[in-house]
Amino acid sequence: MPKHYRPAGKKKEGNAAKYITRTKAVNYLQISLATFRKLCILKGVFPRQPKKKVEGNHKTYYHMKDIAFLLHDPLIEKFREIKVHRKKVKKAVAKKNRDLAERLLNRPPTYKLDRLILERYPTSVDALRDLDDCLTMVHLFAALPAVDGERVEVKRIRNCRRLSHEWQAYISRTHSLRKTFISVKGIYYQAEVQGQKVTWLTPHALQQVLTDDVDFNVMLTFLEFYETLLGFVNFKLYHSINVNYPPILDPRLEALAADDKASSEEEEKEEATPEADENNRKSSNLDESELRLAQLQHQLPANEPGALMHLVEESTADDADDDETKQCKSLFKNLKFYLSREVPRESLLFIIPAFGGTVSWEGEGAPFSEVDEDITHQIVDRPTQSHVFLSREYVQPQWIFDCVNARIILPTEGYVVGRVPPPHLSPFVDNDAEGYIPEYAETIRRLQAAARNEVLPLPGIGDEDLDNSLVAAIIDRTESNEAAERKKRLEMLEKQYHDELKMECEGITFSTLSNTRADNPTDAMEKDDTPSVNEVDAAKQAEKDAADISKTVMTRRKRGLLQAIEVRVHLML
Amino acid sequence: MGHSDGDHERDDLSADDSPWSDGVWSEDDEGSLSFEDSGEGSDADSDGDEVEAVEESDSSEDEVAPRNTVGDIPYNEWYKDEEHIGYDQEGKKIKKRDREGRIAAFLKNVDDAKNWRKIYDAYNDEEVQITKDEAKLISRLLKGKTPHSNVDPYPDYVDWFEYEDKGHPLSSAPEPKRRFVPSKWEQKKCSVRSKLICSGGKVVKLVRAIRNGWIKFDKPKEEPKYYLLWGDETDTADNKRQGLSYIPAPKPNLPGHEESYNPSVEYIPTQEEIDSYQLIFESLRSVPAYEKALREGFDRCLDLYLCPRSRKKRINIDPESLKPKLPSKKDLRPYPKTCYLEFKGHSGPVKSLSVEITGQWLASGSADGTIRIWEVETGRCLKVWKVGGDVRHIAWNPSPDRPILAAIVDHDLLLLNAEVGSEEAQMRAKELLCTDESAPQDDTVAAAFHPSEKMFFVATKKFVQVYDLQKAQLVKKLESGLREISSISVHPGGDNVIVEAKMNPLIVPLEILRGHSSLDGRGVLDCKFHPKQPWLFTAGADSMIRLYCD
Repeated sequence: MPKHYRPAGKKKEGNAAKYITRTKAVNYLQISLATFRKLCILKGVFPRQPKKKVEGNHKTYYHMKDIAFLLHDPLIEKFREIKVHRKKVKKAVAKKNRDLAERLLNRPPTYKLDRLILERYPTSVDALRDLDDCLTMVHLFAALPAVDGERVEVKRIRNCRRLSHEWQAYISRTHSLRKTFISVKGIYYQAEVQGQKVTWLTPHALQQVLTDDVDFNVMLTFLEFYETLLGFVNFKLYHSINVNYPPILDPRLEALAADDKASSEEEEKEEATPEADENNRKSSNLDESELRLAQLQHQLPANEPGALMHLVEESTADDADDDETKQCKSLFKNLKFYLSREVPRESLLFIIPAFGGTVSWEGEGAPFSEVDEDITHQIVDRPTQSHVFLSREYVQPQWIFDCVNARIILPTEGYVVGRVPPPHLSPFVDNDAEGYIPEYAETIRRLQAAARNEVLPLPGIGDEDLDNSLVAAIIDRTESNEAAERKKRLEMLEKQYHDELKMECEGITFSTLSNTRADNPTDAMEKDDTPSVNEVDAAKQAEKDAADISKTVMTRRKRGLLQAIEVRVHLML
Repeated sequence: MGHSDGDHERDDLSADDSPWSDGVWSEDDEGSLSFEDSGEGSDADSDGDEVEAVEESDSSEDEVAPRNTVGDIPYNEWYKDEEHIGYDQEGKKIKKRDREGRIAAFLKNVDDAKNWRKIYDAYNDEEVQITKDEAKLISRLLKGKTPHSNVDPYPDYVDWFEYEDKGHPLSSAPEPKRRFVPSKWEQKKCSVRSKLICSGGKVVKLVRAIRNGWIKFDKPKEEPKYYLLWGDETDTADNKRQGLSYIPAPKPNLPGHEESYNPSVEYIPTQEEIDSYQLIFESLRSVPAYEKALREGFDRCLDLYLCPRSRKKRINIDPESLKPKLPSKKDLRPYPKTCYLEFKGHSGPVKSLSVEITGQWLASGSADGTIRIWEVETGRCLKVWKVGGDVRHIAWNPSPDRPILAAIVDHDLLLLNAEVGSEEAQMRAKELLCTDESAPQDDTVAAAFHPSEKMFFVATKKFVQVYDLQKAQLVKKLESGLREISSISVHPGGDNVIVEAKMNPLIVPLEILRGHSSLDGRGVLDCKFHPKQPWLFTAGADSMIRLYCD
């Protein structure tokens, strides 16, 4: 009888029954691999790792329950309908039956993903927990070029832009942004929404190139799900702050968003911003998104039916806010920013209001102009600044990001125009756990401590003074430590010398001394700089014994665990 | 019908094959046949009439005009019951002839050789005799041949056309399209709206489908795309994810300092790397687009739907926390730490030790068959008994005034007068001891004296046996119910015996004392504490006893 003999009529058991390979699953579901992939992505079904891979080690296994879960989904039937519809259209076109083709194309079978979202995320908190990938993806696609004829539809990209702006507007409005970081890959943001930390990455505001090494079918399927998810999450969040969703914006802006080829609009813009002559299309795109973001933020609080009610709610909401939100809200409170043309506007327009600042920019639709007297900071990213207002400070954009991460207003010394700014450090790293604190992190920490004691460092010279004094203090401290240690050692040697002298006087020979030493190995260690081999062994033995003693008292199970851990540590080393 | 008629005739012919082959055709038969025919129906008659007509046109019509003038009417029907069969040219009735019987017909047939050529003419009600040629003609016709034998039905084909320099008269052009598309008339039948879709040809079906609303032309209504999906979140039972346990995907790694566009210098590993890639950008405006952004997004997607996820139980325990917390050694002082004395004398492994209650004497039993008594403080061997057997256990009498030693040697229990201490004590001991005694059969494990009475307890593996020392006999046998007794001790009051089974004692380890060398797998065989001092005696397999002191 073979080893795995199963009598006829007896069901499969164990891993063979529980898990199914991908090919078999596809056959079982009677769909194509592409449909299976799409279904898996939408339903969130992923392969599992069976304990015993019955069919072979190199295969992908799915849990049978997952496959049954897919089998009972109405989406499968929808996908079949879509396939049939596509065939019908193709046939109609091939027969030159244009009317039929047109009629079919007018009513393609559609499906909705809302039920799936509720199934995968029964509560909105669940959805927020898994929102990282969603946001990163939507922001990535929002940065792709919205050009007809590319592999990604313009409609989808516009939708991504809209969704990302809505999300940013909510975060900015509720002041829930916590950390920001400019990396080579783009800008990382971390917000805290309903107790969940949501981190996402937005690419730099530059045109991305569509590469050939990615499968857009897969990405677009993911995007399809993510778009729906983010839409519903946005709805929920907007609902929680009593704002209608989708927010109604300026009809002109809507029209702009809807129709990129509004050439007249574009021409107007060109007249309005003669500087932006290099890339008309791009600038219009950017302007549009910025305008939208600004408008969204502007509108969110004002969208309330009763302004009075809103005021009341604002005040109560203030009490409800936790300390961190309050801190974030008031970081840039009485500051007024002006963004130059060359800085990444979209990101700064998002961050500054999120931390309570007022912001304007160079271009159409700006709330206030460059010549406003109240502007405290102008964000500039150019080698030199020709015309300078004395009433404001000119800083590089990194200053904003560093301030936000440090939660204090950093001195602008290092960030002035034309200087290489201090290193930009990641707020996601726990320096203490890492065991190494970069120099600038230490400086920031000191500044934070100073700010907490309400002893604000004076701008300009004061800051440097503080630095100097602190450095001096550190040097002092280390020096004094070293001195104390040296002194201690000297004292010890002196004492030992005196002891030995005394013993010699009493007539103890060296041999007897060595005998006693065996009794007291630690003492011997202290006394002799070069202990004999035996003594070293004894000391080692003693050490080992000390470690073993506690082992003897452990239960057998715990001892086994300890041994396993030790073996693993040993292997890792 | 004509065909069936022919069949009948043929039947008849075949039936009368012999007369035919003889060249004799019975006229009578023919006559009877035609009678039957006339009885059957008009068609057959008309047929016959036709045949006659043909005959007439051929030969007889011109010569003899038909007598009857009723014309082409169903005369069989109409004149069936009349006496006449019609009218002649003068308008006189033509009387029906009398029927001749079958016998007469037969006789006629026999008499007249030419009778078979006579045919009854029902129209004129007379018998007609056909000529031989006519008979032949009829028989040819019946056979499906041409009436005249000299006609060739299949003459050789003579090609009258000229093909040279002439185009082929037939066209090989494909069927024109109009044969396939609906005609104008068909298109006109549709209503104006359905004209748009009529090109398919299933006009009526389409029209019906449209009228019944199966085909819709309006665009579907736009529903609001988003709504409040998560209503109230209080109901926890409903808010559980169905199906298999969901393993959330691990989040992407958060960026470290090294990923910054402007990192600290120490995060750039080497000068070469700084040279080869530009990892530091001195200002934000110089940061280019990250070309791998899409690729990384795609990789993440692949990870999300292709990577098997499984929950791994990772034990993240500090190994130190597993070790139990021991009390500080300092708090437990004094305890024996170092070897102070070695008692040498035994030649075999020392199996058992016992310290006298006063702490002055130490008794030891060895596998070499000796029992020795030592003075604790000096290490001097006071006395040696050679018992001649393996000493398994040894115990002092707990009362200091009677220095008696109990020893288990093989299967015997010995009580010895230790002969130590004061004279008086020695005397008393002598009094007490009389003889040895045969011991329990089982392996003895431990022994103990009763503190006040003259009793002695011996513990075997399963039982505790009580001996009366004076009478030197077994008094009681106590059953412990334990699997294995390891030691025994008696309550100082003497009322209870405590039996200790082999189990895990709670001991706080303090110090590992090393000194004895092991001999064939056995090291320390026994150890005893000094009753008064924090000293420890150990008996080793290397025939040494060591005293450890503070």
